[in-house]
Amino acid sequence: MSRFFATGSDSESEESSSADELTPKAPGTTFKQSLLLSDDEEDTKRIVRSAKDKRFEELTNLIKTIRNAMKIRDMAKCLEEFEQLCRAFLKSKNIVDKEGVPSFYIRLLADLEDYLNQLWDDKEGKKKMNKNNAKALSTLRQKIRKYNRDYEAEIATYKEDESSSSDDDDDDEDWGSDTVDSGREIKNKLVLLQSTLPTHPLSVLRTQETEKSTDKKSGKKKKLKKKERLEEEAEEEGGEEVEGGWEKVKGGVPLVKEKPKMFAKGTEINTAVVVKKLNEILQARGKKGTDRAAQIELFHALAAIAAENNLGQGILVKIKFNIIASLYDYNPNLAAFMKPDMWKKCLECIDELLDILFENNNIFIGENIAEDSENLGVSEQPFRVRGCILTLVERMDEEFTKIMQNTDPHSQEYVDNLKDEGHVCGIIDRLLTYLENKGSTEEICRIYLRRIMHTYYKFDYKAHRRSLGLQGESKSEQDQEESEGEDSAVIMDRLCKFIYAKDRTDRIRTCAILCHIYHHALHSRWYQARDLMLMSHLQDNIQHADPPVQILYNRTMVQLGICAFRQGMIKDAHNALLDIQSSGRAKELLGQGLLMRNMQERNAEQEKIEKRRQVPFHMHINLELLECVYLVSAMLLEIPYMAAHEFDARRRMISKQFHHQLRVGERQPLLGPPESMREHVVAASKAMKMGDWRTCHSFIINDKMNSKVWDLFPETQRVPEMLVRKIQEESLRTYLFTYSSVYDSISMETLSEMFELEMPTVHSIISKMIINEELMASLDQPTQTVVMHRTEPTSLQNMALQLAEKLGGLVENNERVFDLKQGVYGGYFNRGEFRQHTSLQNIYQKGSYQQKQTGYQRGGYRNPNQGNY
Amino acid sequence: MLEFIYTSATEKENSSQDHVSSGPLLSLFSQVVLKIIKHYQEEGQGTEVVQGVLLGLVVDDRLEITNCFPFPQHTEDDADFDEVQYQMEMMRSLRHVNIDHLHVGWYQSTYYGSFVSRALLDSQFSYQHAIEESVVLIYDPIKTAQGSLSLKAYRLTPKLMEICKEKDFTPEGLKKANIGFEHMFEEVPIVIKNSHLISVLMWELEDKSTVADKHELLNLSSSNHLEKSLQLLMDRVDDMCQDIVKYNTYSRNLSKQQQQKHQYLQRRQQENAQRQSRGEPPLPEEDISKMNKPPQPPPRMDTLLIAGQINNYCQNVKEFTSQTLGKLFMAEALQGHN
Repeated sequence: MSRFFATGSDSESEESSSADELTPKAPGTTFKQSLLLSDDEEDTKRIVRSAKDKRFEELTNLIKTIRNAMKIRDMAKCLEEFEQLCRAFLKSKNIVDKEGVPSFYIRLLADLEDYLNQLWDDKEGKKKMNKNNAKALSTLRQKIRKYNRDYEAEIATYKEDESSSSDDDDDDEDWGSDTVDSGREIKNKLVLLQSTLPTHPLSVLRTQETEKSTDKKSGKKKKLKKKERLEEEAEEEGGEEVEGGWEKVKGGVPLVKEKPKMFAKGTEINTAVVVKKLNEILQARGKKGTDRAAQIELFHALAAIAAENNLGQGILVKIKFNIIASLYDYNPNLAAFMKPDMWKKCLECIDELLDILFENNNIFIGENIAEDSENLGVSEQPFRVRGCILTLVERMDEEFTKIMQNTDPHSQEYVDNLKDEGHVCGIIDRLLTYLENKGSTEEICRIYLRRIMHTYYKFDYKAHRRSLGLQGESKSEQDQEESEGEDSAVIMDRLCKFIYAKDRTDRIRTCAILCHIYHHALHSRWYQARDLMLMSHLQDNIQHADPPVQILYNRTMVQLGICAFRQGMIKDAHNALLDIQSSGRAKELLGQGLLMRNMQERNAEQEKIEKRRQVPFHMHINLELLECVYLVSAMLLEIPYMAAHEFDARRRMISKQFHHQLRVGERQPLLGPPESMREHVVAASKAMKMGDWRTCHSFIINDKMNSKVWDLFPETQRVPEMLVRKIQEESLRTYLFTYSSVYDSISMETLSEMFELEMPTVHSIISKMIINEELMASLDQPTQTVVMHRTEPTSLQNMALQLAEKLGGLVENNERVFDLKQGVYGGYFNRGEFRQHTSLQNIYQKGSYQQKQTGYQRGGYRNPNQGNY
Repeated sequence: MLEFIYTSATEKENSSQDHVSSGPLLSLFSQVVLKIIKHYQEEGQGTEVVQGVLLGLVVDDRLEITNCFPFPQHTEDDADFDEVQYQMEMMRSLRHVNIDHLHVGWYQSTYYGSFVSRALLDSQFSYQHAIEESVVLIYDPIKTAQGSLSLKAYRLTPKLMEICKEKDFTPEGLKKANIGFEHMFEEVPIVIKNSHLISVLMWELEDKSTVADKHELLNLSSSNHLEKSLQLLMDRVDDMCQDIVKYNTYSRNLSKQQQQKHQYLQRRQQENAQRQSRGEPPLPEEDISKMNKPPQPPPRMDTLLIAGQINNYCQNVKEFTSQTLGKLFMAEALQGHN
């Protein structure tokens, strides 16, 4: 291309210098043309447009509206537009000076005047007009008369012209703009031709140009007609010339026309031609009027041609790249998602691309291969193609996410779309194997992360079953198992460890760690998950990460909490879930939906961004399960704690949310049987407060709750078992806290019967309570009883203590008021008695209260600093 | 029931006999007491408070309360109920049956002695403002249930009346009036009077009625009552704390501003001195007060009331504990005797 233009520019500059006749027409533009032509044809076009066409287009548009207004006899509008037109015309004055008054403008002036005169004469019609219009009419008439005086000559010529060529069609304004357009086209063509065709056609053109310019010089009368005719001719000729030109340069420097026709007949199709064509199509990309669907079609056609002509794999790969890219480009909006057929096409394309890449070992692709150093044609050398398959696949993955985000999760469509997940995974897998051989570590890390992202949230049922020692029921399933290969855990481990070791961007590693933890937690490997979380120190700096990573972090924390819960680590579970649950925005924090409440706070733009962050439905964590786990663990922690610290004034809440739920439950005027999960937990909490574990148990674990929550766990049986156990233990503790004051001693046997716990367990729980000084009691070994010591203050004593504390606060506050007064007056005393302070301080520290009551001295003591001013 | 009232009434009469000389006397007809008790039992529950109008007349230097009627309980539906209208109606009707119809005060029940409130102050002020001799009777049903009738009459002290009239509750105003929580209400001694006929009936009935086998007076349980009192006391202490903090910030702001003002004044003085030396007219000094408005002083009346209330609670607790202690010693002695 560059070679071609190098010669072209030569000839052009030569031409412009030789053909002086051309310069008066548009000196500025031609000059620029000659300068810029050397690098791109596109630029020339733009320059021309910005200079002249923009103005003329503005004018033609205005004229169009005026003509429309004329048609509907809207004089007011006409006047308004006419004024605008005059202004616009003034603006384009310098162009007009160069180019002469455009004919379409003259035409309008003439027509408008005729039209107005006609209207003016039509007395009947004038009467019918409304006042506004009539007024506008008279003003406009005045104006145009005055205005037209300046253009009398032009109008006269125009009228003459019109009468002579009455066969001209009526569609004047179209015609006018057409002239301009075709003029531009022609010029481009001309330039093109001038630059391509060395000698022979140039002369023809030059003659045309000269003709035109002489025409112009001689007078503008026939210019329009002639010009048009000329242009027509030129087009025909040019077309011929172009065709001829191709024939001429056959085998040499090829050229492709802009028309969406592929190749001219007989053109020998080789790599260079195709590449040129490809570039041409590409240039249209991203432009306003480009039909994107057609573009894709063109690419496909091109690919077919390339395949037909056996141009080698390199070019095919190149085209494929472009097809996929344009498929992605199909939606101009970032938020919009691909249509299913597009998506299918995209998948196929990538698949094919991968096929080619796998089959041909000698294709090198990469982002950093420069356009120039591409090798598409020569099959002896390895192909070098610019492009990044990884980016394409990543983009594909994102598109997939987008599709999932935009599909109603409760429809069949979603399921259908989800079926593509396998396909996507397959592609990622294939690319992974490809890149493992050929890619850089960075690329490998990226593709690994993609793979991880598709693995981490899936529960590996096969591994689970295998770990339980169960074989697949049927032979076929076993086969499938074998073919499935390694466990997801092994894969995760391998991929993540690679990333930990090799990755240099922080983000990928963070994501990998989080996914790894998530995966561990999902499969109940609590300790690994916890250790990884603690080792990564993510808790400290996650707030600096970008929102998607934060969402991933939240998801991981939640999963970790749920895992801890399954393992019976209630406290850990509670701590892990606390942050997410206490905010009350779990849904938002997990990226599983937007909250209605802050609709006012965010604008549409933000909402779009947030929507893009949402996690697809199939990856969601059940929010009810999450809340239930949180509330149950809060219950197991909070109820015994409340019972133990019933009278403690400084008692703090372990879980605000849980208390909130309790309060909501209390506020209910009528307490029916629990319906929702929360109500169940509240009811269970109430039972537990009384130490009634059986009722508590029946509220937490029943059919309703099973179907709502507990069945969602992979190990359906284990969790309720663990829960029963916990409920029994915590109920026992609660019971002891609450009722220890009414017992002198209590037999452990009774307790063990009451709570259906084994003796050793009861023993250990009570011992623990005694050691922690929660329960004032001792164990009597021979009789197996707990003997209460009753050192706890009664409620009245507790209250008295509280009151004393409050009174202390009151006194303190009161003294502060007093001090302030002292401070104001105390300045006098401080100076003289500053020496006393030391002794006073000593006395005060000894607690001599009498000294304290001598007001001003104490004031002096209290504010020793005040002595300084 | 009858006997219990009788004994307590007589006891009251005896106990308040000592105070007769010390102030204006208030004699209460027993039917008023019965009516108030009945009113509470019918309508008041828990923390809810019942109120009513006292009727009577002034004889010589003493106020005789001869009758009363309750205010109807308010419900949400009859929001447009006109209380004044109702009272006038009621009094007119009573007049028709030849009962004293002069408005001499009002009564109110209380929950653990918590009656010192702004509402009481306001209404008693308006009563006393309109009818000089009016009193408020405070009936404590809980104490009564424990065995001793608790009925107390209060009036606002003249000092407090002054303050209320001027509506000056700022710290300065209260300071000037030199009023403390002790001087807000004055208790009026009560004498419960029976007509001779009733006395005769009582004597007659006393012989006939069997001895009551339940003596609430001797109930030993104490913690419940004390707990409640403490709880209420604590709440008030909290309120007090808040008020003090408020006052504290106010005075701090005030002093800060004063300092600023002082500095500003000094600067202005210096400037003026300079100007004078140059022979220019001095700058005016009036704009200073405009420039910085003093902070709004917090009203201190509520604090005063809270203090009064706390005092009241303390009295109650003290009284109760001394009684309980006595009872406990008695019980101990009894046990030792057995």
